[in-house]
Amino acid sequence: MLTLTSPFETPLHRVPAGVKLAALAGLSVGLFSLQSLWMVLAATVGLALLYLSFGLGFARFGAAMLRPLWPFFLVLGLWHLWLGEWAAGLLIGARMLVAVGLANLVTMTTRLDDMIAVVERAAAPLARLGMQPRVLAVAIALVIRFTPVLMDKAQQLGQAWRARSAQRVNWRIVLPISLMALDDADRVAEAIRARGGL
Amino acid sequence: MPPPLPNNSSLNLKDAGYAVAGRTILSGLTLSLTEQRIGIIGRNGSGKSTFLRLVAGLIAPTTGEVQIGGVAPASDRKAMLARIGILFQNPDHQIIFPTVGEELAFGLRQQGLDKTQATAQVRALLAHHGRSHWEPEPVTALSQGQRHFLCLLAVLAMKPQTILLDEPFAGLDLPTQARLGRELAKLPQRLVLITHDPKALAGYDRVIWLENGRLRADGPVGPVVAEFTETMARLGDVDADTDLTL
Amino acid sequence: MEKNVTYIALFAALIAVLGLVPQISLASGVPITAQSLGVMLCGTVLGAKRGGLAVLLFVGLVALGLPLLSGGRGGLGVFSSPTVGFVIGFPVAAFVAGLVVEKTRAAIGLAAFAGALVGGVLVLYLFGITGMALVLGKSWPAASLLVGAYIPGDLIKAAMAGFITQGLAKLRPEAVLSRA
Repeated sequence: MLTLTSPFETPLHRVPAGVKLAALAGLSVGLFSLQSLWMVLAATVGLALLYLSFGLGFARFGAAMLRPLWPFFLVLGLWHLWLGEWAAGLLIGARMLVAVGLANLVTMTTRLDDMIAVVERAAAPLARLGMQPRVLAVAIALVIRFTPVLMDKAQQLGQAWRARSAQRVNWRIVLPISLMALDDADRVAEAIRARGGL
Repeated sequence: MPPPLPNNSSLNLKDAGYAVAGRTILSGLTLSLTEQRIGIIGRNGSGKSTFLRLVAGLIAPTTGEVQIGGVAPASDRKAMLARIGILFQNPDHQIIFPTVGEELAFGLRQQGLDKTQATAQVRALLAHHGRSHWEPEPVTALSQGQRHFLCLLAVLAMKPQTILLDEPFAGLDLPTQARLGRELAKLPQRLVLITHDPKALAGYDRVIWLENGRLRADGPVGPVVAEFTETMARLGDVDADTDLTL
Repeated sequence: MEKNVTYIALFAALIAVLGLVPQISLASGVPITAQSLGVMLCGTVLGAKRGGLAVLLFVGLVALGLPLLSGGRGGLGVFSSPTVGFVIGFPVAAFVAGLVVEKTRAAIGLAAFAGALVGGVLVLYLFGITGMALVLGKSWPAASLLVGAYIPGDLIKAAMAGFITQGLAKLRPEAVLSRA
């Protein structure tokens, strides 16, 4: 499946995932304790330069990942202009931008396999509570495997719908899609049982 | 045909039956299967797939007994891994993992190998079949026929003594059918094959014909398939659906 | 055991698919994202524990970097953005929805509607509004003003969750684990 890892290789790709996650946690906490507008703006510029230093393609990819934030910038802008507190609005907006940008940076430079490996290591102590890390690994693999399969089937159902209806597909299609998920779950459980179970 | 694997585990059914939600799917099956190549034929809904699942131990009989080498396959799953493998009709119902390597390694890890050993065996298996480049590939990149072959490899990786096949040729184009047929014919394992195609049973030792969940005929390929083909042709001439009751 | 894991995993995949399938529309033709409907169904169909775990698995995979949220969003950035409360509230919403279905004796469709309403709307919006208030530095009432427009759509989805759960209970009674 498609992941959000950037195809543009950067030096950050070679930093271990655990280190990046720890750094992200530390920086995020630090960021939210910053109260000076100028320091937050400096952080924004610094982050933008960091993205750009990894190449224009990488920076463009990063900018695209920030796009869902724009309605919130709009709301913040209107709100604080109306109240006449533009500095406060800028502080909140810039802080949000840096926080999301930093987090995205980790996502963009870490392969899914490495992330999963970190999770499995972190989940290892849970084995004592009866939660086998291997079961978690199988569950993750199943979601990655069956999301595209289910997606395909949902699209086929949508086509079958449109082949016999002038109306757009509506919510009633969710029932057969859910049914397929249930049936697939039964079959996969059988396939796992056929090879020794969990 | 290659020399058969030493196979001490005969498949025995004693008055075995299976019912679900008050509906009887299989009943009164008493069989002892010791041959190398066994075919299962019958109409749609005759209980062939349920029969295979019963033998594989994926479901337990609701009446009677099923035993493989003296062990009930549904209760001792670990022991069954080395004895029975099953190839489902639809590869998408069988492939559990997103990449070829993970899919093949899963069964081996289930048999107690560690990660390094499992990876080594997967590489050896792929290399043996000339498919080394498949290992990192996502399973979605494979064609239908290739996914079918991957399922067979996943079964073969676990080296079971007997392989159960549920219409492995359905939905495959003719060259892919021929290729898969050749791969199967080469296997030293005992095969139990469900099929709608009497031609696929050439060279088989025994054929079992199921109808309405019961044994209709059982014996060498020639006479059983001849009677089956004739009956099917007669039914097809009448009206295939008149005997379907809802 | 296998069944628990496959049901949880397949329903996590179902949430993703319902968020990515673009062509679902309401009777009026207004396109909606069915993702929160998927979250409700996890609870009402699989029950509190399995449903909550299915959604937790989904949210975990989003954090690991899979673009499974509606609109193809995903990654750690989601957890710093104003909608963080909704994402974190998803598993709790499914858990509560499942709990309501398990604990009431009402007919399955009605119980599922009630569960989806309490879990998928009330609890989810409590989390969502709180998250938005924190990230945007606004008061709770101000933040609720921002998301108020989405509530009617989610009320309709709760009704859909009721109908769909009822339908599944009729077709696959043994698979509706919240009442098994």
